[in-house]
Amino acid sequence: MNSQKNSLLWHALTVFILFMMGAGLWIATKKIDYTWRWNRVPQYFFYQQETLVPAPFDARVASISKNGNETHIKLAGENGEDETYIVDTETLKVSENEDLFEGDYLGATFEWNAGPLMWGLWTTLWLSATASVLGLIIGLVTGLCRVSQNLTLRSLSITYIELIRGTPLLVQLFIFYFFLGTVLDISRIVAGISALAIFAGAYVAEIIRAGIQSIPKGQMEAARSLGMNVPQAMIHIILPQAFKRTLPPLAGQFISLIKDSSLVSVIAITDLTKSGREVITSTFATFEIWFVVAFLYLMLTSVLSQVISWVERRLSVSD
Amino acid sequence: MIKTVDLKKTFTGRGQTVYAVDGVTSHIKPSEVVVVIGPSGSGKSTYLRCLNGLETLTSGQIIIDGVDLSAKKTDHNLVRREVGMVFQQFNLFPHKSVLENILLAQQVVRKRKREEAEEKARMLLQKVGIPEKENEYPIRLSGGQQQRVAIARALAMDPKVMLFDEPTSALDPEMVGEVLEVMKQLAREGMTMVVVTHEMGFAREVADRVLFMDQGKLVEEGTPEHFFTSPQEERTKLFLRQVL
Repeated sequence: MNSQKNSLLWHALTVFILFMMGAGLWIATKKIDYTWRWNRVPQYFFYQQETLVPAPFDARVASISKNGNETHIKLAGENGEDETYIVDTETLKVSENEDLFEGDYLGATFEWNAGPLMWGLWTTLWLSATASVLGLIIGLVTGLCRVSQNLTLRSLSITYIELIRGTPLLVQLFIFYFFLGTVLDISRIVAGISALAIFAGAYVAEIIRAGIQSIPKGQMEAARSLGMNVPQAMIHIILPQAFKRTLPPLAGQFISLIKDSSLVSVIAITDLTKSGREVITSTFATFEIWFVVAFLYLMLTSVLSQVISWVERRLSVSD
Repeated sequence: MIKTVDLKKTFTGRGQTVYAVDGVTSHIKPSEVVVVIGPSGSGKSTYLRCLNGLETLTSGQIIIDGVDLSAKKTDHNLVRREVGMVFQQFNLFPHKSVLENILLAQQVVRKRKREEAEEKARMLLQKVGIPEKENEYPIRLSGGQQQRVAIARALAMDPKVMLFDEPTSALDPEMVGEVLEVMKQLAREGMTMVVVTHEMGFAREVADRVLFMDQGKLVEEGTPEHFFTSPQEERTKLFLRQVL
């Protein structure tokens, strides 16, 4: 009871400190000359596009029937054509029995479209997902090479891991885009995804290696003593256990990958970060957009970490 | 059934070469129960592990059921499926249920159908006395139960020989009996067994022959009667005085 009361007090203190920090920031922004325009942000997620509907031929308006927001217009052409068009009721420009020339507007329709921030979010999402899957495959293969008995495989994997982990991702992206992109004639998207995948692969390989080596030797011995060969023992015994143990660090790696993917904006891939920059150039709502972009990244990463902890719980039935 | 000729196994570390097994020549006949005893570090476990190729020999020869395990071209996996092994630490697969532990190698190695493998697994669980545990995970079982599952898992491969590497050493005393009972039953059924153990009672009661090893060498061998009542070697006498 006492400790519960205490923890409540500490939570209150936490909330208070966060509130004070927020208030401090708010006061600080009050002192500078900045007008917050949050109302400009939503249209960059979704916006309504107006499409004008023209009459396709010279015609007379045969009938108009209003149906809530939609209005059906029946046109009767001079040559016996007979067609119905739909426009938004509020935009209706014609009345019954009116004679129209080809190209006169009947009205307009509205359609919801995804804005640049949505497209950027989507690009970041699939870019990271593709790079994660590829990175996992590369890392798995490299990790297995890393623990292999074959000296060449081991040396090659170590070289790859050291090379990638010893250089900045930003530089790797430039090399992939400017050098490999030119030499191998690959598009910026392919260059960006490969750079991310190969970067993540090096870290995944080390995680997988550690996972494999953390499985007691007796497991491999038991599998071998039952007549399994090394690949069978790996697939059925070692890797499933290693996978379970490496799930938390792997999750961390993939969360990093989502965040690191923001660097592809430097090779002009329109991901979430670059979309944010583009929206800022047209709105000047710098502060708002960067906060929104940060929030969107936070959403992606926290959904991923929720999914992974769900998988972890499912796998823990044998503990 | 298993023949070893001048078996040697060395481990090298820090520039030193240690003979773990130093020239063991032995012959285990079909349906024979051979118990290997000796002080810690005498190389008895290494000897046993050489018998199914878990350790690679430094020199010498091992012939199992007519197949030369020491020959380069021999597929160790083919030999191993005929040689069951039970470990001190059980080494059950923790991510698989008891039943799946016993099914896996049958399906993967022996390519048995699921139904056939399940029938076999249930029969063996019955035999080791824990048919009700088939859906449990190993972690929920006592040490004795885990070791009995491990025995069932090895038996599911229909091995011609069973190797036991100190099967009761990691068990609480009250669980030793249940595991030894299963082993005794196996011996009665005529299974060829090589058992490394500290259980002198088991050796006396079940063994057809006892091997005594010290410092990698086979010091003395004989029937349990001979071995426990009138040992010839000084080293054997000293060891028996200490453990009995």
